Amino acid sequence: MITTGDEKQRLSLRYKRFRVFSLIVLKQAKWLSIIALFVLGFVVSMLSFSSFDLSLNDLLRLLVSFNPDSLAQQILYSLRLPRSLGAMLIGANLAVAGVLMQGLTRNILASPSILGITSGAACFMALSSIGFVILASLNSVLVAALGGVVGGGLVMVLGGFFSHSAHPLRLILAGIAMSALLVGITRASVILADDMAYSVIAWLAGSVSTLDWHHFSQLAFFSLPALLLAFYIAGKMNLLALGEEMATGLGLNIKQVRWFACISIIFLTASSVAIAGPIAFVGLLIPHIARKIVGFEHGVLIPCSALLGASLLLWADALSRVIAFPMETPVGVITALIGSPCFILLALRSKLS
Amino acid sequence: MKSFLLNIFLSSFRNLAFSQKSGRLSLLLALILLFAALSLFVGAAKLTLLEVLQTLTLSGGVSQEFDFIVNQYRLPRLFLAIGVGAGLGLSGALVQGVIRNPLASPDLMGISTGAGLAATSLLLFFPQAPLFYLPLAALSGGILAALMVMGAAYYSQPTPARMALIGIAISAFLASCIDFLMVVKPLEINTAMVWLTGSLWGRNWQEVPYIYVSLLLIVPFAFYLAWRLDVMGLGPESAISLGVSVNRMQLLALMTAVVLASISVSICGTISFVGLLAPHLARLLFSHQHKWLLPAAALIGALLVLLSDILARGLQPPVELPAGVLTSLIGAPYFIFLLYRYKGW
Repeated sequence: MITTGDEKQRLSLRYKRFRVFSLIVLKQAKWLSIIALFVLGFVVSMLSFSSFDLSLNDLLRLLVSFNPDSLAQQILYSLRLPRSLGAMLIGANLAVAGVLMQGLTRNILASPSILGITSGAACFMALSSIGFVILASLNSVLVAALGGVVGGGLVMVLGGFFSHSAHPLRLILAGIAMSALLVGITRASVILADDMAYSVIAWLAGSVSTLDWHHFSQLAFFSLPALLLAFYIAGKMNLLALGEEMATGLGLNIKQVRWFACISIIFLTASSVAIAGPIAFVGLLIPHIARKIVGFEHGVLIPCSALLGASLLLWADALSRVIAFPMETPVGVITALIGSPCFILLALRSKLS
Repeated sequence: MKSFLLNIFLSSFRNLAFSQKSGRLSLLLALILLFAALSLFVGAAKLTLLEVLQTLTLSGGVSQEFDFIVNQYRLPRLFLAIGVGAGLGLSGALVQGVIRNPLASPDLMGISTGAGLAATSLLLFFPQAPLFYLPLAALSGGILAALMVMGAAYYSQPTPARMALIGIAISAFLASCIDFLMVVKPLEINTAMVWLTGSLWGRNWQEVPYIYVSLLLIVPFAFYLAWRLDVMGLGPESAISLGVSVNRMQLLALMTAVVLASISVSICGTISFVGLLAPHLARLLFSHQHKWLLPAAALIGALLVLLSDILARGLQPPVELPAGVLTSLIGAPYFIFLLYRYKGW
């Protein structure tokens, strides 16, 4: 049997198609595995370690046709779903805030929790909860945003961000010291107001266990626009990374980009802190991992960090239920345990900018 | 004869004047005594001078209640505040003297959190262990943390500022471990407060001997190190040619600092920034000779912890703040000021 030229061509075409397909698969393998991690995290955090029996079947039914009479679906809908969605959004928020901060300051150690934004927000939240003058009457996310502006602004000024000669390390050390100060004020004010300090310790560690739909809607209201803003300025952040002169030369309005980035960072962080308390190290750890996987282009880096941050918090949330089942462990403690070794590694690295 | 006595009297008076170093030292001592006396009166229960004096001297129908408040509660706390503060201050002065790094201190080198982690684990996993295990556990934790920081420093040959960053990062890791233990195995609230922020709440006479015995052993040794630290400040070559074996002295001084800091931490948790602040204030008042610097740092540390303990108890009486929170309110701004002034990046 002789294969005709026509058939040969068809075979080679099929082969080519297969190769193209496999190349696409390989190229997208990173993304596929990230998405798999994310989806798996969502399922695990929805179903695992509950005092009730929850099955995958219930989850599928909930997504397809919600039956309010079923206890399992009711639990999933009113307890687990807002919690998982909230954890997801908080993880994405913090990770994207970390990417933006590292791009803005061009400092690999920058992140909301290290540069005093998280602790500023937490401090103002605590002050407002004990009835401090004006703060008590504002929306909690706005209070947290105000605190983030104050904390982050003080760190930027004292750390010499605006003077060109200052060493990048000074910014980081100033941020750490300012965080220590703000955490001190937070603890003092809360203990003076109410000596149930233990609940405060749990809140200060960051926890998503009490999230409900009301919290989630508040979180989404503030953080989705901020996330969109972050995607919008992604391309401009790439130009900013080239340095100020180059970016201006290429026609970038540097001031505008910086303002947008700052607004986005503040609202991403503040909404997370207002809902779940200060969750540390997500904003430091995730951007570095994402950069290892997809490289430096912000248009890809930001979505990738958002997905990774969301999966980290989903898995950490599931873990936080395992550790002392049926008690809940604050999720911030878990992220701190995962994130602080990464901080050590970064601190040991020789270059800082 | 009369004029001679007058002369002695006057010169001792002149010594007390603020310009002389010994005068300043005695002024510090006087301040400590003053605040120590004051601290007996501060707290939820209001006592009069007469009541306190009667209770202290155990004369004339002491009531059980006053005896408990003054002799069993406030007095040991006062002694502990002074001892712990002196330990932290001295430890900070030694660390800064050896590493020649203005940003170094026992808490920025992970010693405090390492000791805290070890002590917390002991309390959580072996609650029945006798009390004298606690300083031992803290000591081993402090040594391990110091070794970690030193190893990291050896590996990356850092500048002083980066050294501080590495220490902070390792402390952050150890602190997150403490948080984790605290949350997973909740203790009583006061214990948690002591270990997370440093407080003298609920300490009694039992703990007093540990810190004072170690101070008693180490203070003479610190004086033995004093001029050697001065010489080492001239650089390793000059120090060796002047007959000081640099490596051995560094090791000894660091070990001493670790011991002091760990034992202080084993008593009252991590009272942050005292070990950083005290030597700097001492250097402002007494310049650079370690002969003066070491005792001055110890006294200033004692004064700081004593003051913050008084404030912690007295700000809003029945409620008690952790003393470590108050020291961080003073210490953190000072650290930022140091960064502002620091030039050796």
